[in-house]
Amino acid sequence: MKQVLEGSQAVAEAVRLARVQVVSAYPITPQTHIVETLSDYCATGKMNAKFLRVESEHSCMAALIGAQSAGVRTFTATSGQGLALMHELLHWASGARLPIVMAEVNRALAPGWNIWVDQTDSLAQRDTGWIQFYCEDSQEVIDTTLLAYKLAESVALPVMVVLDAFFLSHTYEPVDVPEQEEADRFLPPYEARFELDPKNPCTFGPLVPPAVYMEMRHDMAAAMDTALANFAQIEDDYERIFGRRYGAVEAIACDDAEIVFVTSGTITSTARLVLQNLRSRGEKLGILKIKLFRPFPVEEIRKALKGAKKIAVIDRNFSFGASGIFAQEVRAALCNAPVHAPVFGYIAGIGGRDVTPEVLEEIYWKTKNSAAPERESVWIGLQEVRHGN
Amino acid sequence: MEIELTEREFMYPGHVGCPGCGAAIAMRFVLKALGEKMIMVMPACCWSVIAGPYPTSTLKIPVIHSAFETGGATASGVRAALDMKGDTETTVVTWAGDGGTFDIGFQALSGAVERNEDFIYVCYDNEAYMNTGIQRSSSTPYGAWTTTTPGKDWKKMRKKNIVEALAAHRIPYAATASISHPEDLIGKVRKAKSIKGSRFLHIFASCPTGWKIPSEMAVKIARMAVQTNIFPLYEVEDGLHYTINLKPKRFPVREYFKIQGRFQHLTDQDLEVIQKMVDEDWELLLRKAGEHA
Amino acid sequence: MAQKSQAQLKAENPIHIMPRSTQSTEANKTGSWRYLRPRYEEKTAPCSAACPAGEDIGKIEMLTAQGLFKEAWETILRENPFPGVCGRVCFHPCEGACNRREFDDPIAIHSLERFLADTAERDDLKPLIERLPSRPEKVAIAGAGPSGLAAAWFLTQLGYACDVFEASAEAGGILRWGIPLYRLPLNALRREIAQIEAQGVRILTGKPVTTDLLTDLKSGYQAIYLACGHGRTTELCIPGESLAGVQDGLAFLSKVRAGDTPACQGTSAIIGGGNTAVDVARSIVRLGGRAVILYRRRRQDMPAFGDEVQMALDEGVELVELVAPAQIESADGRCRVVLRAMKVAGEDGSRARVEPDGDKTSEVIVDRLFKATGAEAAEGWYNPPALASSILTLSHCTLEKKNGGPVKIYGGDVTNDIKSVVHAVASGKQAAMALDMLFREGPDAILPKLDGCTVGNGPSLSMEIYMGGERRLRNPHVVSYSEINADYFRYSPRMSQPRLVREERVRSFAEIDLRVSGNIAMREAERCFNCGLCNQCDNCHLFCPDISVIHDQSAQGRHINYDYCKGCGLCVVECPRNAMTLEEEIR
Repeated sequence: MKQVLEGSQAVAEAVRLARVQVVSAYPITPQTHIVETLSDYCATGKMNAKFLRVESEHSCMAALIGAQSAGVRTFTATSGQGLALMHELLHWASGARLPIVMAEVNRALAPGWNIWVDQTDSLAQRDTGWIQFYCEDSQEVIDTTLLAYKLAESVALPVMVVLDAFFLSHTYEPVDVPEQEEADRFLPPYEARFELDPKNPCTFGPLVPPAVYMEMRHDMAAAMDTALANFAQIEDDYERIFGRRYGAVEAIACDDAEIVFVTSGTITSTARLVLQNLRSRGEKLGILKIKLFRPFPVEEIRKALKGAKKIAVIDRNFSFGASGIFAQEVRAALCNAPVHAPVFGYIAGIGGRDVTPEVLEEIYWKTKNSAAPERESVWIGLQEVRHGN
Repeated sequence: MEIELTEREFMYPGHVGCPGCGAAIAMRFVLKALGEKMIMVMPACCWSVIAGPYPTSTLKIPVIHSAFETGGATASGVRAALDMKGDTETTVVTWAGDGGTFDIGFQALSGAVERNEDFIYVCYDNEAYMNTGIQRSSSTPYGAWTTTTPGKDWKKMRKKNIVEALAAHRIPYAATASISHPEDLIGKVRKAKSIKGSRFLHIFASCPTGWKIPSEMAVKIARMAVQTNIFPLYEVEDGLHYTINLKPKRFPVREYFKIQGRFQHLTDQDLEVIQKMVDEDWELLLRKAGEHA
Repeated sequence: MAQKSQAQLKAENPIHIMPRSTQSTEANKTGSWRYLRPRYEEKTAPCSAACPAGEDIGKIEMLTAQGLFKEAWETILRENPFPGVCGRVCFHPCEGACNRREFDDPIAIHSLERFLADTAERDDLKPLIERLPSRPEKVAIAGAGPSGLAAAWFLTQLGYACDVFEASAEAGGILRWGIPLYRLPLNALRREIAQIEAQGVRILTGKPVTTDLLTDLKSGYQAIYLACGHGRTTELCIPGESLAGVQDGLAFLSKVRAGDTPACQGTSAIIGGGNTAVDVARSIVRLGGRAVILYRRRRQDMPAFGDEVQMALDEGVELVELVAPAQIESADGRCRVVLRAMKVAGEDGSRARVEPDGDKTSEVIVDRLFKATGAEAAEGWYNPPALASSILTLSHCTLEKKNGGPVKIYGGDVTNDIKSVVHAVASGKQAAMALDMLFREGPDAILPKLDGCTVGNGPSLSMEIYMGGERRLRNPHVVSYSEINADYFRYSPRMSQPRLVREERVRSFAEIDLRVSGNIAMREAERCFNCGLCNQCDNCHLFCPDISVIHDQSAQGRHINYDYCKGCGLCVVECPRNAMTLEEEIR
């Protein structure tokens, strides 16, 4: 049923439809609406779930690890500092092979308190063994969150569904909300592979010596690879019931593009506008939207970028001492491809600064007018600073 | 001693606790008192290692090892899941050392207790971060040597009073116990089991390795701690009603300190200061229990 | 393509390995860590080593505490046929050695022994006594006093037929003819003598052992045990001793025991400080007379039991200390006794040495005087020979082997330093063992065998050990108080032995000490530490951190699983009664 929803509400709807049994969340702007909506659902019985009002994000993830290990479907949401605080336990959740699903609202990291959109927080967790999806709009948010459970449970790895602060979390859009009966058809009740059970006792997370730890990590690595294949199959299932699919990447007008933007999140929707504009002026621009970031869909990216003459990756994040993270990953994906275009890395929209069509046009012309990237990363829109030290 | 205890063991032999490990004795008693319908949450502590390496475990009950800080939080999650599954019989127990209770785990414990989560939190206290090699915790007593309070830097802060801190939360049940007094300990575990909401047991679990005493003295030293009022046995209900379970003869603390390597450096003056502190704390406890010296 | 089910998806994406344990740790045999090894090892309780009869007192109290009164009684009978007698008249050196005395008060072992005999009497119990197969040798025993009767009891256990020859009309010796009824009632004694006879011993009364009888015995017996005792009072060796009013204390007691009421109106003086003197005095009081004990040393030096002296004084007996009779004169049908004053010249240990205090004298006039300064054998040949080439002198008996003819062995008061009933029993036991070894293996085997049957380091001997019982496995190390873990015991007062009050006591010869109930006895027996013995308290099993003390069906009730025992030693320290030992691990 079509409703006009905030991104936060879309998350909550998906969680309700997935029949999540335990929710634990700690409020942090701009995730608070997710938390409050779910709290309300649990209180009014709209959701049959326990809401654990723990005292920090670290405890949230700990509580979910406990609950999921005891055999129920779980959910949390966080952002920025909260995600950073959870870091230790993100590794734990994946190592414990728990299919936890989390909504992550991209927010800049302090110091300098900054509640606006920045991807560094979620990307800094890219090594933790969580599957990561980046969403462009609220419809994608609700679809991805619901689908995340099926994917997570199929490979026994946790999934992070990432949405931009305010641009998604607090923006109202029309969303086609699935019916419960359809959701149930898509996602049956949770059946744990292993659980804490006095009738069948075992110990989770014991001391693991070097002799076997490597094999356990390899199994996780293999599961990540399987996730990539499973995602396509699961999107088939989703499309069959709900009529929508997204793909690990979406190549827009890449076939004959000379310059291809690589984007993620809401920047993609701005890029679509700029694409229309530039194409109408005869510029051969293409967009490669990356939805699935972990596992990184190397093959599909190589395929989509095969024909490009120049690749411009737009990163709303930065890995200090290196470069924008999507740029890093794209360069790594292409480096062993037989032939590939040069990759230009652009840093834009850091800390919630607007990425307007003008910013994207600037990036287009800079790329077109440079034979090769002048440096690893070009920061767009930096101003001369006169205040402070 | 007259204790009715099941013959059943809930632990296998072959665990890697040090000879004379007080924590192993504590675990054995608590398991026997609680029985098999339980799930144990075990944040990082000596027992994380004692339980044995993959693919083995010395414990016959379901266990989830968890990160150091998370004893209270992980248990909250397990309890929520069991409630959603309609399981009203299984007890959720957190089994943590003093580090995971007094220090790094204090937040999660306080949070869980403030929410009155329905679980039993057992802290077995060996008075330092023993698993990582005898470093000081806020539970380390005044006067003790540890590897991070060596030489003249011996710990000059008092032991944190965790039971008092939790009493301030109006926790339904909090009690101290010692491996040297099994009847009392087991009675308290059984009592805790019958109460709903958050329950806390602070068990004095001596550590021959960390305290530098011969392994065969582990129980005796715990008994001396009780007999000298260094570790009184008492209960607090709803954070308000204090019951002192044992009023020992108040043996002077000197003997207790003299036989432990970790206290060898203390002078007679230091011991006098300590005796005063112990007496003061005991008087305070008596007043809280509505009694006089 | 149809949607896959959850089960299908999971089957296609199995987890091959993850951090999850499903096996036990039993494959890790932590016993390899050990450098000290604990084991169960019972040791010797100080009471049992102090008991001249070597009674297994720690075990007796353990059985009593458990309500196993018959078993406890039988445990006494293995080492001493006279629990009813000793439980009334013994000077209980066991209580002086009791470790509990350093904690609060010693166990009332004496009262408990009597309780067990009383229980056997009340329930008419018949004991189960182990007996070795019959032996061809026959033994004659001269004297049916405590030593002779005990020897008969033990020899019967060892398989020998015994005949006891008693001069008087009834068996018992000092027990029948010396000790007053208010200390040892007749039926208590008769019951225990009957029990000895029930084992097959023949007691022939009215058969004094003369040199003629000895000759007769030579043909039918391979050994003769001479236990004729000290039946003759020693002389005072002062002028006037043979006067009419001067009587023999032992003879007086004998007459009273025979049922006579000898004259004792007026005042009687008793010379002496031992039990005989006190017995005479207290008997006189009960017969209506006034008694004054005249003793050469101080009250605390009197050999008589302290309890008895106190009771005598309570009953109105007077005590004059530090006086020695110098001469006796007749004075109008009465006796005037001149007394030399004595003074303390020094101390030999805790006993005073006295000497005359200058020329000071005093005198008393009494109606009669009783001599009770000591006793000796009535006939010289009752005593073992002083010197002979074929003599073996043991702690409580002397063996003489002559060429041809039966072996002569002497015991009881004639050989013992301390003249008491329980030492007499010790003589009987030692003599029985010595004869048995002599007959089975020859004289050279006696000492080594006896050395192996001591309780602790001796000299007390145990028949149970001699006969190869479990007690032989005990470590002879005597447990001291410092080896007891007193943390496991609470202060609790020793039972008080109920007695007749003073007014009731002096009215008759009725027994002074009264019976106690099973409740009181069990509670008292529970106070016993059971030093060195396992009473199955299970502390070892309770405190083992490694699940290495395993309950089983063995007599010990548990064993140590050495596959896992790390040798921490907690079991040994927490054993309240030192029934375990920690030793070096030998690999």
